[in-house]
Amino acid sequence: MPGVAANSDERSLVPYSQELPQPVVHSLHHGLKPPIARLSISWSRGNTLRVSVLSPPSEEDVEVGGRVVEVRLSNGDGENSDAKWRRIAYGSVTPFAHLQSRRSSVSNLSNMSLIPSPYTIDWWEYVMEYSKDINSLLGSLDSGPDPVIDDPKMVLKKVEEPTSIKAAWELMEIFYADKQSQPWQLERLVDWLAEYDSLLSSTQPTVHSKLLDFQNELSSLQVIEDDPKYWDVLSSALAVGWIDIVVKMLRLHGSYQLHQLGNRETENGLVEAVAVLISKKPRMRPGVEDGKLGECFKAKPDFIKAWEKWRAQIMKLDSSRFWLQCNHHQTREGLKTMIQIMLGNVDNLCNETCHWIELFISHFLYVRPLTVGFESMYSLAQKCMQLKPMSGAHRLIEIILGILGENTEVVLAECSRAFGPWMVAHAIELLTTGSDQAESLLHEERYNLGGISIAELHRLVYAQVLSSHALTWQIAPIYLSSCMKQGMGLLEILLSKLPTEHNEMLLKNIEICRLYELDTVSSNIMKIAGVYHWKHGRKGCGVFWLQQARDEVRLTRIAQHLFDSVGKSISDESFKQWEGLIELLGSESKTTGGLDFLHKYRDFKKSLKQVRDGKTTDAAYQAVDSLISLMKNPSTPQRFWLPLLHDSLKLLNWPERPLLNVSQTDLLLNKLQELSMAKHRPDFTEADLPSEALSSVRLALASNLGHAILEES
Amino acid sequence: MAIGTALSEPPKIHIFPQSRYIDSVRWLPPISALDRLAVVAVFDSDSGTSSIETLSFTQNPENLTPQSQWDSPSRVSSLTTSQFNRKSLVAAATFAGSIHVLLIDAMEPSSFESELSVPEKALHEGSISCVDVMDSGVECVTVGEDGRVNLVSLGESELSCRRIYDSSGLVSFDSVKWASPSEFATGGYGFSLQWWDQRKPGGAVSQFKGDWGQRKSSGIVHSIDIHPSRKHTCLAGGSSGTVFAWDLRWPQQPLLLSGVRSGEATYSPCESEVWEVQYDPYVKTSNVGNVSSRILPTMICSEDGILAVFEQGEEPIEVLAEPCAINSFDIDRQYPSDVICSLEWESIAIVTRP
Repeated sequence: MPGVAANSDERSLVPYSQELPQPVVHSLHHGLKPPIARLSISWSRGNTLRVSVLSPPSEEDVEVGGRVVEVRLSNGDGENSDAKWRRIAYGSVTPFAHLQSRRSSVSNLSNMSLIPSPYTIDWWEYVMEYSKDINSLLGSLDSGPDPVIDDPKMVLKKVEEPTSIKAAWELMEIFYADKQSQPWQLERLVDWLAEYDSLLSSTQPTVHSKLLDFQNELSSLQVIEDDPKYWDVLSSALAVGWIDIVVKMLRLHGSYQLHQLGNRETENGLVEAVAVLISKKPRMRPGVEDGKLGECFKAKPDFIKAWEKWRAQIMKLDSSRFWLQCNHHQTREGLKTMIQIMLGNVDNLCNETCHWIELFISHFLYVRPLTVGFESMYSLAQKCMQLKPMSGAHRLIEIILGILGENTEVVLAECSRAFGPWMVAHAIELLTTGSDQAESLLHEERYNLGGISIAELHRLVYAQVLSSHALTWQIAPIYLSSCMKQGMGLLEILLSKLPTEHNEMLLKNIEICRLYELDTVSSNIMKIAGVYHWKHGRKGCGVFWLQQARDEVRLTRIAQHLFDSVGKSISDESFKQWEGLIELLGSESKTTGGLDFLHKYRDFKKSLKQVRDGKTTDAAYQAVDSLISLMKNPSTPQRFWLPLLHDSLKLLNWPERPLLNVSQTDLLLNKLQELSMAKHRPDFTEADLPSEALSSVRLALASNLGHAILEES
Repeated sequence: MAIGTALSEPPKIHIFPQSRYIDSVRWLPPISALDRLAVVAVFDSDSGTSSIETLSFTQNPENLTPQSQWDSPSRVSSLTTSQFNRKSLVAAATFAGSIHVLLIDAMEPSSFESELSVPEKALHEGSISCVDVMDSGVECVTVGEDGRVNLVSLGESELSCRRIYDSSGLVSFDSVKWASPSEFATGGYGFSLQWWDQRKPGGAVSQFKGDWGQRKSSGIVHSIDIHPSRKHTCLAGGSSGTVFAWDLRWPQQPLLLSGVRSGEATYSPCESEVWEVQYDPYVKTSNVGNVSSRILPTMICSEDGILAVFEQGEEPIEVLAEPCAINSFDIDRQYPSDVICSLEWESIAIVTRP
C-alpha cells in the first residue's frame, strides 16, 4: 500500500505499477489538518479508488473526524480515452448481437439438416461483415478529400494517426477471418505495414520515420539527387513495397527538369526505366485502388509468369550498357541498389529496412512471393528477428508472433494485456473462425474455470467492466445473455443491484427485465422502489410500485397505516386530499391488498355528500348500496364499522320511508353485535366518537327494521 | 414488432457523438435557415458535472458546434424553451430540485445573457419531474414526485414562486403542460391525468384515471402535449408504448392511439416507455374532412429506440430506429421537417425529413 508522503499541507498518493514507465501522481485534497491517523483504500465503481482519510480521535473539539475522497484513475491507455472506449463499446453492440443471432440461427439450421459444423455455410462471411463493422469503429484512416492541387513534394500523405488497436484488429482479420483474400494474404500484409509502420517503434527508426524526416528536409533541398538520404529513403520505401511513393519521389529527380533534359538524357532514361519497372511490379491481388500502381493478377500461374518476365526485364536493365554512360555517381549507385532490392538481394533488403517486420514483409515482396502457411511464415519471422533483433517487447509484435506461432492462448493473452477486455471479448469471434482447434480450445468447458469456457469467461469479464459504469451497464445484458452457463445468473445480480431512486433508471432497468423475461427480478426491483418511495413520504409512488409488483403483504401493511390517517379524517373535508391516491388504487380488490376498502369508502362518502346537499332519494339509495357493500366487504376493518354506521345515521332515520330492507338491516345489526363481542378482545380500538354513538345507531337500526317489516308485510 | 409504411423518401439522419450523456434536447429559434440553434442538457460522467449548452447546427457539411455553456449545480431532469422579450428563454429543472431560467439573445448565441434561479428545497422536496414554460415566457409550472404543483413567475431580476397544490406525496406527478394562461394539465402514476384551472384553486378541476378495463399492469404518463388550437384535448404518452388522447368534453372516454388494451392488440410501434410526445406539424393530415374530431399527427420517441409519427386510423410511420433508447426529441417550430433527438449512447441525432 502506498504510504503518505510527508508534504506540507497536501498529501500525495503514488499508485505503483510495473507497467507504467513513470508513476502517475494523483493529488488528494482532503482538507484535514495533520496528523492523519489512518488511511483506508478500497475500490469504488469502475476505475475509481475510494480513499478514507481519518484524523486521530482527540478530546478537542474537531469539526471533522475524517473525509472520504475518490480518485479517478486513468484507464492506463494513452491511445483511447474513457469516452472513446465507451463509443467503441456502444458501436460494437449491434455487430456483436447480430453475429450472435446469426450463430444461433445457423446452428439451428445445421441441427435440423444434421450438418456437423456451422462453418459449412460460409460462416466466415458473417464474421467478415462483423469484423468490418468493428474495424470501422476503431478509427478511420480517411485522409479526407484529396487536395485539388497535388503537391509534388508531398510524398507522405497526411492521415489521421493510426491506432494500435485498429492495427491489431486488422492483423487478426487478415489471418483468421478473411478467407476470401487468403490467396492475397501477403499483399494484405504489405498494405497493413504501409498503414501501421509508424506504430512499430516510437524510439527506433522505421522506414516511415525515415521518410517523415526526409519529407521535412525536402523543401530545402536544391539538388535532390546529390543527397545520399534521397537514395537511402528511396531504397527503403521500395524494400517495403510503397511503390507509389517511390515512383513519385523518383520523378523529383533533377534530370526531369526541362533545362537539364538535354545533357542528362541517359541518366534520365535510366531513372525513368527503373520508375516504369517499379510501377509495373506484378502483384497477386484482385486489384488496387484507383491511381495506385502495380499490375494485378488474381491467379497464381498468371502471376508467376508475369513475375518471371518482370525479373527478366530487371536483369536486362541491370546488365545494360547505358550504366557506363551515366555520369552521376549517386544516381547510378542508387538505382543499382534499387535494382538489387527488386531482384531480392537479401543483403540489400536487410540494409534498407529498419525493423524486422519490415524485413519480413520485404521477403514476401521480392524473395518469396508465394509463401503460404503459418509454419513457413513463422520460420521466416524467426530468421528476420535474428538479423534485426528488437529491443523490448511491443504489443503489436507480440500479437504477430502469437498468430504466426499458431498459439491462440498467446494471442488472447497479448490482446488482453495490450487492449483490455473489450478486445478479447470481441476478437474471440475472429480467432475461432474456421479453426476447429481454436474453436474447441476457446469453447471447451473447463473445470478450473468453474465449468465455463474461455470464450464465456472473457465475455463475462467484459460485461463486468460494462456493468461498473453508469453509462454502459445497459449494454452488459447483451453480452451476459450470450453466455450460456453463468450469464443469466450474473444478469439477475446486475439488475437487482442497480440503484432504484431515479425513475428513469428504474424504468430502463424494468424494461431490460421485460426483454429477458426476468419477471421475478423485475417484481423485486419494483418492491424495492415501492418501499423506497413509501419511506421517503411519496405514498402514491410507493403504492403504485407495490401494486405493480403485486406485493400483497406490503400493501396490507400499508393499508393499516393508511387507515390510521383516513380514520382520523373520516368525517371531515380533508378527505379530498386522498382522492388522488384512491384513484390510483383503483377498484380491483386483487392487487390492492385491503386498500379497495378506500375506494368503496370514497364512493360512499360521495353519495353521502350528495344526500346532505340535495336530499334526493336516489342518492340516498346509492349511499345505502355503498354502505352495505362496505359492510359486506371482508377487507373493511372492524374499527371502521361504527364510524360508518354513525355517518349513515341520516340514512337510517330517513323520514319518508325505510331505505334499508329487512335483510340489509339484519346484516348491519349482526355487525353491531359482532362489534360488541369484539370489545372484550385486547386488540380492540375504540373509535373516536361521542359516547352515545352506539346507542343512537342501535336505535336507528331498530326503528328502520320496524318500518321495513311493516312495509314488506 | 411490426413497422408501418416507410416514408417515400428516407429522411436524412446525422448522428453526432458527444462523449457525454445528453439528458435533454430542445431547438431554439434559428439564427438563419442554414444556421440553427439547439440547447442541450449535458451530463459528463467522467467529471460528474452537468451543464446546459447551446449548439449551432449548420448544413453542408453537417456540423454541430458548441456555442455557450452554463454549469448546472445538479443534473437536469427537465428542459424547456420559450420566447421572452424577443429572446430565447430556457428553463431547466434539476434532480436536486432547483429551477434555472436562462436567457439567450439569438444574435449572440455564444453566451447566456442572464441566469435566474430558485434554489433546491424551495419548491419541491427532492427532484423536479417536469417544468413547462408558458408561451409568453412569464410563468413556469413545476411538478414533482413529492406531489407538489408550483408556479414560478419570471420578474425583472428575480423569480417568484407560488404553491398551487400539495398532495403531501399521496399523488406524484411526472409531467406537466400549459393549455392556456390559466389552465394546465398534469400527468402521473397509473396513467392519470389532471386538469387544473388557476381560477378554481384548491385542486384539479378534472381527473382521469387511465384504467382500461382489466389491464395487466398500469404505468406512468411521461409526457403531455396540448395543441394551441385544441385546448380541450390532452395528448399523453407513457409506459408500455401507451399513447392516448384525453378529451375534456368526454373525460371518461380516452382515445388509445397506441398501446395494449386487454385482449385486443392495438397497433403499436413500440412496447416500452414512450418518453416524449409532441404534435407533429410537419405531417399534413390526409383526411381533411371531419378534422375537428380527429387527433392531429403525433410524434413519439421511446426507450426501444423508435422515433415514429402516428396518425389516427393509420399505420405509424417510423422515422428513426436506433439500437439504443431515444430519450428526448424536439421538432423545430420554424422548420418542422427537422427533428433533434438525444440518444442513450451519448449522442445527438438530427433528422431532416424530405
